[in-house]
Amino acid sequence: MVRLILRRLWMAIPTLFAIIIISFLLMRFAPGGPFDGERPLSSETKAALENSYGLDKPIWEQIMLYIGRILQGDFGPSLIYRDFTVNELIAQGLPVSLLIGGLALVLASIIGISGGLIAASKAGKAIDEILMLFATLLTALPTFVTGPLLVLIFAFTLGWFPVSGMDDGISWLVLPVIALSLPITGAIIKLVRAGLAVQLSQDHLRSAKARGLSPLKRLFRHALRPALVPAASYLGPAAAGLLTGAVVIETIFGLPGLGRYFVQGALNRDYPLVLGVVTLYASFIIAFNLLADIIYGWLDPRMRDS
Amino acid sequence: MMRFSIILVAIMAALAVFLPFLLPWDYTQIDWDGVSMDITSYEAWQRGHYLGSDDIGRDRLARILAGTRITMSVALAAALVAMLIGISWGIIAGWIGGRTDDIMMRIVDALYALPFMFIVIILMVVFGRSILLIFIGIGAVEWLTMARVVRAEVKAIKVRPFILAAEASGASSLSIILRHILPNIMGVAIAYLMLTVPQVVMVESFLSFLGLGVQEPMTSLGILVNEGAAQMEINPAALLLPGGILIILIISLTIAGERLRDRINAGNIGPNIGAS
Repeated sequence: MVRLILRRLWMAIPTLFAIIIISFLLMRFAPGGPFDGERPLSSETKAALENSYGLDKPIWEQIMLYIGRILQGDFGPSLIYRDFTVNELIAQGLPVSLLIGGLALVLASIIGISGGLIAASKAGKAIDEILMLFATLLTALPTFVTGPLLVLIFAFTLGWFPVSGMDDGISWLVLPVIALSLPITGAIIKLVRAGLAVQLSQDHLRSAKARGLSPLKRLFRHALRPALVPAASYLGPAAAGLLTGAVVIETIFGLPGLGRYFVQGALNRDYPLVLGVVTLYASFIIAFNLLADIIYGWLDPRMRDS
Repeated sequence: MMRFSIILVAIMAALAVFLPFLLPWDYTQIDWDGVSMDITSYEAWQRGHYLGSDDIGRDRLARILAGTRITMSVALAAALVAMLIGISWGIIAGWIGGRTDDIMMRIVDALYALPFMFIVIILMVVFGRSILLIFIGIGAVEWLTMARVVRAEVKAIKVRPFILAAEASGASSLSIILRHILPNIMGVAIAYLMLTVPQVVMVESFLSFLGLGVQEPMTSLGILVNEGAAQMEINPAALLLPGGILIILIISLTIAGERLRDRINAGNIGPNIGAS
């Protein structure tokens, strides 16, 4: 198991570097630069600015310098938010994103696993059909439609929650977290239902039934753990989904998270900011895939050796 | 259910293409005397704005139809790009097999784990926001599942007797692929094409929602949802109409695609697929 994790970590390094280099080159070959404002700068000013940010060096040198600085944990200065470094912006945005993303993942897991359990234990009954249709609906609803809809219903019409922004309480969290968790909930319901359907038809469950174990005991003691393997493998894509969802959710609800900084940075060609956020995102997704592998091993001991 | 969803999508497509010809207003045309007209007002109806007009006086119905049309055509084009890449990748990996197959599938696995949406966002920002680039960009992201499915199919077909017979009769790899493999995987490929389309609809609307996709004066459902969200407090219809159409479109396409896939997978167990 330790060897598997180490090997995965080893493989993650070139992936991460590839992402950084691709994003770096894409940003740098873009027509238009960060200093193209409404008023054109004089060529000396521009040259001085580019010199101070290292933009006048050959491209490979820039990449090597950049990677060197990332390894020291320094993402450089932001080009647009002039008084901030990218590290400071990330430090501001990350807690907000982690909070709503983490809560959304927990909520989606709880509702998704319970939904899948109920559907599988009532397989073929009406409640199963309804739950599965519900799950399809959830996965098909884009967050940028459900987000504004939730605001329209629960904030404007009913007035239960704030429309946007954040405050000291917790009520501002409710709508963004729900909107972010919906598509993941749907996917988890489907995966758990499918995993359980496979497990429940296995021989050892038939013999458990023959031994007279109650349905609940069979479900929880024997079927649930291996049935969660497909759902665990979904963790990687779920992390990606959370991150992209967060971009929309933070825009809709006006939350100062990483996703907002990413979109703003991309629109303003703030190279260091975008690269910093992409690097962080990629590391996140790789970490989640690793987590999925560890959970695999815990759920199914046979996987530990492979 | 499947037939119903397909009919629904077909009706929406037909309306989006043909209804604009019957409307008094074009979707880019500005009616200076009919700005921000409510859906319920009689005056709006009189002026030919059957669903009201937006805040700069463009006809809402015409814009929703144009948005639907553009969203659907971008989605179809992008899904076709994805299908083309996915089929080629899958056939090459599945047909050659061995080490090449290992490496090619490892690449697909690695790509699955990437924050691709962000690469697409960077692409959109970098290379202007042309419609051509949107579907190439989205297509380049959404081909992974197609490649996996096609490769599995090819591996299964490759060992069947009729392929051996073709090989024994001296047919070249290329002609076996074109004449025997390709026709046999088309069913599965089309089922997954159907499943890719709603995915692409979502990606395109997502990009347009952020202002990175389709650009003015063109419009798409994502842009209309974004515009609607900005004024939903005073005019909920501006959000509910395009949002509702987008949801119906995605759900119908998803259900149709899932049912079609299930049918074809079920058929694959028996010997009848591709036998005719």
